[in-house]
Amino acid sequence: MTLQECYAALGGDYADVATRMPRESMIQKFVLRFLSDGSYDLLCRSLEAGNYEDAFRAAHSIKGVCQNLSFTTLQKSSGELTEALRNGWTPEAEGLIQQVKADYQQVVAAIQAFQKEVMG
Amino acid sequence: MNQKQRQTILIVDDTQMNRSILADILEDKYDIIEAEDGLEAVAILQKQWSSISMLLLDLYMPKMNGYEVLEVMNNNRWIETIPVIIISSENKLERIHQAYDLGVTDFLSRPFDDKIVRRRVFNTMLLYAKQKDLETLATEQIYEKEQRSSLMVDILSHIVEFRNGESGLHVLNVRTVTELLLNALTRKTDRYQLSQADISLISTASALHDIGKIAIDDKILNKPGRLTEEEFAIMKTHSSVGAQMLEQLPIHQGEPLIKVAYDICRWHHERYDGRGYPDGLTGDDIPISAQVVAMADVYDALTSKRVYKPPFPPQKAIEMILRGECGTFNPLLLDCLQENALNIAKALQASGEVQTKEKSLQNIVREMSQHYELNASNRTLQLLEHERMKYSFFAAMSQEIQFEYTLSPDMLSLNSWGAERLGMDEIIMDPLHNKKVRGHLGEEEWEKLTQLIHAAGPESPISKYECKLFFGGELRWYRITCQSIWSNEDEREYMGVIGKAVDIHSSRTDRENLERMASYDMLTDLLNAASAKKQIEERLRSGSDSQFAMAIFDLDHFKSANDTYGHIFGNRVLAHVAERLRSSVRGGDIAARIGGDEFLIFLEYTHDLEPIIQRIFSSLSGEDYRGFPISASMGVARAEAVGCEYGALFQAADQALYAVKQGGRGHYRFYDSSMASLAVPEREQIVSDNEIVMEEGE
Repeated sequence: MTLQECYAALGGDYADVATRMPRESMIQKFVLRFLSDGSYDLLCRSLEAGNYEDAFRAAHSIKGVCQNLSFTTLQKSSGELTEALRNGWTPEAEGLIQQVKADYQQVVAAIQAFQKEVMG
Repeated sequence: MNQKQRQTILIVDDTQMNRSILADILEDKYDIIEAEDGLEAVAILQKQWSSISMLLLDLYMPKMNGYEVLEVMNNNRWIETIPVIIISSENKLERIHQAYDLGVTDFLSRPFDDKIVRRRVFNTMLLYAKQKDLETLATEQIYEKEQRSSLMVDILSHIVEFRNGESGLHVLNVRTVTELLLNALTRKTDRYQLSQADISLISTASALHDIGKIAIDDKILNKPGRLTEEEFAIMKTHSSVGAQMLEQLPIHQGEPLIKVAYDICRWHHERYDGRGYPDGLTGDDIPISAQVVAMADVYDALTSKRVYKPPFPPQKAIEMILRGECGTFNPLLLDCLQENALNIAKALQASGEVQTKEKSLQNIVREMSQHYELNASNRTLQLLEHERMKYSFFAAMSQEIQFEYTLSPDMLSLNSWGAERLGMDEIIMDPLHNKKVRGHLGEEEWEKLTQLIHAAGPESPISKYECKLFFGGELRWYRITCQSIWSNEDEREYMGVIGKAVDIHSSRTDRENLERMASYDMLTDLLNAASAKKQIEERLRSGSDSQFAMAIFDLDHFKSANDTYGHIFGNRVLAHVAERLRSSVRGGDIAARIGGDEFLIFLEYTHDLEPIIQRIFSSLSGEDYRGFPISASMGVARAEAVGCEYGALFQAADQALYAVKQGGRGHYRFYDSSMASLAVPEREQIVSDNEIVMEEGE
């Protein structure tokens, strides 16, 4: 699996990120590092605890990271979730959370598959 | 821009990934510092704001968000010198406006583009550098100009004083008091619309208030006795004559300094009730500059020695002025005088002390000219002011007597807290012959301390000395720590000493010693059983995410070491094992000696316990100590198996240890349920252990 294929699998825009980051190695480094970013954990934990302020921040962080990496699909859903949580809980948030979770799993699965090949 | 010195950028973002991307893009050109929330950013700024050239700031972070960071930067005025670029995916217009209102320079929106990030950062740096250069240039030019004119004014007024035969201090004092009063006045009212520039101008011009006296006959001017009415009438002309001189200046007409000096010269003998001279102006018809200088003039005349009168103490002078014994004044100014009595007295005292060193005019000229070389950029001045503020704050908070003694001038200065505590002045001339100074220390102590200070050569100039100081009617133990100061020349010369004295009288140190003795085993310096228990219980209660385990081990055949080689040897073996133990446990582990040759280890772990135990165990055993083979038996209990309770852990570890012994010693085992029924024999009482060790006193 190439990095481009990984992007296709996770719903990202490789052409876009490649115009912004000068080297492929740099893109790869940050894509792999996505797995260790704690924002998604924080999102799940704070939603569970009903702490919507932290949840907002976490969604906002995910969106930011996705923007930087051109993870288009997850960026869209996390962006919408951010807005739904900006002023506390709203009914739309429920569906969006499920969407973010699904999109996140898709991203993680693709990166893990890619990682396996890179690491050998 | 300086090519050699790399600029530093502080990146503040709670998402590590975002920080890394920016750092990756920027680190070849700039030094990067990262902060993971606002609080950390502020802490970094507090410590080193002057070395940070730019902030890249996220808006949403835990603990302290970006907006709050901006507010702190505004309050501390860091925002004036450090450009801030926001790096947030914020797209709500009002929130963006809010950030701009707080002084943000630019927004870098996500996704980060390598080229755009570099360019924006570079441009902002350039812009700020240019602005700063211009600012510095302008400040320095203005500063230089002001210094020049104030130098000329000083020379001129000194000539006047010289002829008057006055102290040489009067002009300086009037200026000091004028400045203090004007500052107080602007705090009180905005009636007079005085800017800082106005205040500085009036203070400078105040030095010229008596130039008219140059036209007054020497015999009248310096007449020791009382003036006749006729003579007084001549004397009174000095105010209008001075004004006339300024009015007739062939050049510089229209200069603000000349205009202000004119007002002061002409009207500094007017009275608020209209009974002054030369024009009999009333109330605020008298320019505020002249009103203030008149008050400063009277105050300094009262508090200074004159041929016909002794100096009055500041409080008395102020009372006389308030009672209207020396003219009538603007009630607002009277308030200012009264409220700032202490500041004024202090300021004049300080300038008096400087003057006791008999500064000649040359000295003043030299000092003034040195000022030109000062690189008085905004930032330097701010830094100095900041340092000064910090110093006086810490000096006051530390509850220390801080002192500085210089040989030349022969002077001792104390911090204000220390001076108050000792009941002495902050500055004492010729302190070695001052009875009060010497009285605090007995003759003998004085000699010893002096020797110590002189013996502390340039290589190791710091000395410590504990002695009793006498003051306030009692003797108290103090620790004096000081640094002798030596000149920089080849022939090192003793120049003085700086230092501090700290009250150590309370039994604090003793108590600390006792506390330490109570919780540590004296022989091995490991924790003893009781305090280990306390700490472990605390740790178990804290309920951290990691898992806990306890290990107990003892030394195989230790009794025979004692029997064969004696107790002292036995003690050495124990100390040796403790040392091994100390170096093999990890930072957070708790290690204790809980009995004769019994030790306890408490561990926190996240993944695998066995390798940790394996490592510790193997570092403990397998070697011999001076012929005595060291071998240990160890039992380990996991909290996940027996529960997070000290007693249960201890019992299980103990049972595992017992199982090891029954199985032939020299190894370790983890507790399992098969051991639950083992009846461990009662252990020896070990409470008296410390006593035994002490008796044997290694």
